[in-house]
Amino acid sequence: MTMYGHSERKSCIIKRIPKIALLKSLGIREGMSVSIVSKQPMGGPVVVKLGKRNIAIARNIAEQIQVEGA
Amino acid sequence: MQSCHKEVKIEDSPEGIKILLVGNPNVGKSVVFSKLTGLNVIASNYSGTTVSYTKGTINFDGKKGTIIDVPGVYSLETTSPAEEVAVKMLDEENADVIICVLDATNLERNLNFALQIQKYDVPIIFALNLADVAEQQGITIDVRKLEEEIQAPVIKTVAIRNIGLKQLLNKAYEVFNTEKNNDNIVKNLPRSEDDRWKKVGEILKRVQKLELHHPTFMEKLGDAMLKPLIGIPIALIVTVIMIGIVVGGGKGIRAGLLLPLLNNYYVPFITSLVSMFVTEGLIYNILVGDFGVLILGIEWPFALVLPYVFFFYIALSFLEDSGYLPRFGVLIDTVLRKAGMQGGNAIPIMMGYGCAVPAVLGTRAATTKKERIIIATVVSIAVPCTAQTGAFIALLGAHSAWMLATVYLFSFAGILLSGLFLNKILPGKAEPMLLEIPNLLVPDRKTLFKKIIMRTRSFILEGATPMILGVLFAGLVVETNSLKHVAIYIEPLIVDWLGLPREATIGLILGVIRRELAVLPLLEMNLTSLQLLVGSVVALFYLPCLAVMGVLIREFRLKVALLIGGSTFVIAFVVGGLLNHSVKIFSGLF
Repeated sequence: MTMYGHSERKSCIIKRIPKIALLKSLGIREGMSVSIVSKQPMGGPVVVKLGKRNIAIARNIAEQIQVEGA
Repeated sequence: MQSCHKEVKIEDSPEGIKILLVGNPNVGKSVVFSKLTGLNVIASNYSGTTVSYTKGTINFDGKKGTIIDVPGVYSLETTSPAEEVAVKMLDEENADVIICVLDATNLERNLNFALQIQKYDVPIIFALNLADVAEQQGITIDVRKLEEEIQAPVIKTVAIRNIGLKQLLNKAYEVFNTEKNNDNIVKNLPRSEDDRWKKVGEILKRVQKLELHHPTFMEKLGDAMLKPLIGIPIALIVTVIMIGIVVGGGKGIRAGLLLPLLNNYYVPFITSLVSMFVTEGLIYNILVGDFGVLILGIEWPFALVLPYVFFFYIALSFLEDSGYLPRFGVLIDTVLRKAGMQGGNAIPIMMGYGCAVPAVLGTRAATTKKERIIIATVVSIAVPCTAQTGAFIALLGAHSAWMLATVYLFSFAGILLSGLFLNKILPGKAEPMLLEIPNLLVPDRKTLFKKIIMRTRSFILEGATPMILGVLFAGLVVETNSLKHVAIYIEPLIVDWLGLPREATIGLILGVIRRELAVLPLLEMNLTSLQLLVGSVVALFYLPCLAVMGVLIREFRLKVALLIGGSTFVIAFVVGGLLNHSVKIFSGLF
């Protein structure tokens, strides 16, 4: 399942990420557990919580991130 | 805790120790810097405030040194102009000591950066900043163990409250004064990126304890602001409160304090003073006549514009320091994306409502050239700076609030349409949004106060002088009646096309210098409602000020700057004229 398709308020484990350097630097890596805080309407970004921090991720990136429900 | 601020004085001599201040974005680096040097550096609660570097000098217990604030970056890969600057400085500056600021609430990612920075053969001291926020969030970090793990000194700091900064400098000098030996160089640095993250994970397991705690009110509020159903109403409320503070506060001070002072005391005083020395005539009129530099040159900058500038900066600085702006960026991303931008760009645009210069500089944090040019252009074309906002309120506020709102509708439409257009013609794509949302904080009162004072002062120093000179120029033109020579050539444009009186030319000439000077002369002209609206809209889209043109040239070269400047000029006249004629035709129909 992609991160964008994952339901809100649930946490998930990241399985695969696209090759975007900033993703890793922000801490979005394989094996990390994140929860979906919100999804903006009309194809807007999804906000995920990683540890104590929120990170906004554009739809087309979130669609390339594979996750698994935890 | 005792303040270390007093011991640290600004000194000009760049001798002694040379310190580089590095770290991830939004970890409080700029706060550390401004507290250590006493220099006024703008720090905000979002990533990428320091897009160029700032150098300051320190004098710590008589010991001298230089400290350089390097732009905050997530890694030492060079993907944005800010990162390039950071890497270049680490390579070339030959620092004696590196102070690396870590965010205690976000240790994992910060440690990843810490391990990267250790490849440099320079002693490093780590400042574990935001220690107080981490504690509130139930994060405990064992500093001694962390020191062992990364083989470097770690000092807990709460920079905004001056906690730990003195120890930090002490340590820097201690490290500087010890003979360099190989103990400083960390062995077994992880070779690959995966190894590095693995090591970070191991370190974290040993040094950090997370307590389960109920989210604090600020955490809950911060999350709620990111959800459309709650976030959008909050955004609207925040906007209304901001407008209330700026318009209400500014008007209150102006009408209740500054105008009475000016009209009852200053004007009679200065007029009688001048008439003691100068007889009525040209010089007298230039000094205290209709366009008198001692009257309008004081009234415009200080009584009309300054109150709004001051209150705008109160509101903007509060939003910046609280961490609200990136949340607003998330909500507005969908709209901005249509115009070739993305949510993160909402921040430089918002800053543009203060002043376009930092907004254009702020575009350096954007990763693509296309985004940078689009933001710089929309800010130059359609975003009025706070001084111009003050002028609009002075001109239109008394007349009709609707007209004021209409001018801002033109501003929003201008942002979107010019973005939409540039998005079509410029090659490439806006980088998709990938933005860290900082903690929502109650801003520190002292830091906030300092920032507001600093920004207001820079308006007085850099804004008021050109305004006074502008008024002097206008006075000369009016009193010597030299306008009629120029006006013959542009009269068809001003009078026939825009429907404005001939004197409005003054505003357009002065508007080259500063944005609000395109508006303020209209105050003296008894215009009709339509003329007021057309004049304001022309002034809105008209050239940004000289300072902005200078920054545009520096950032994007002359050609792009001239294109941006030229397009503002054309848009101003086309939109103004169309507005004038369409309203006339429309009202003729009924």
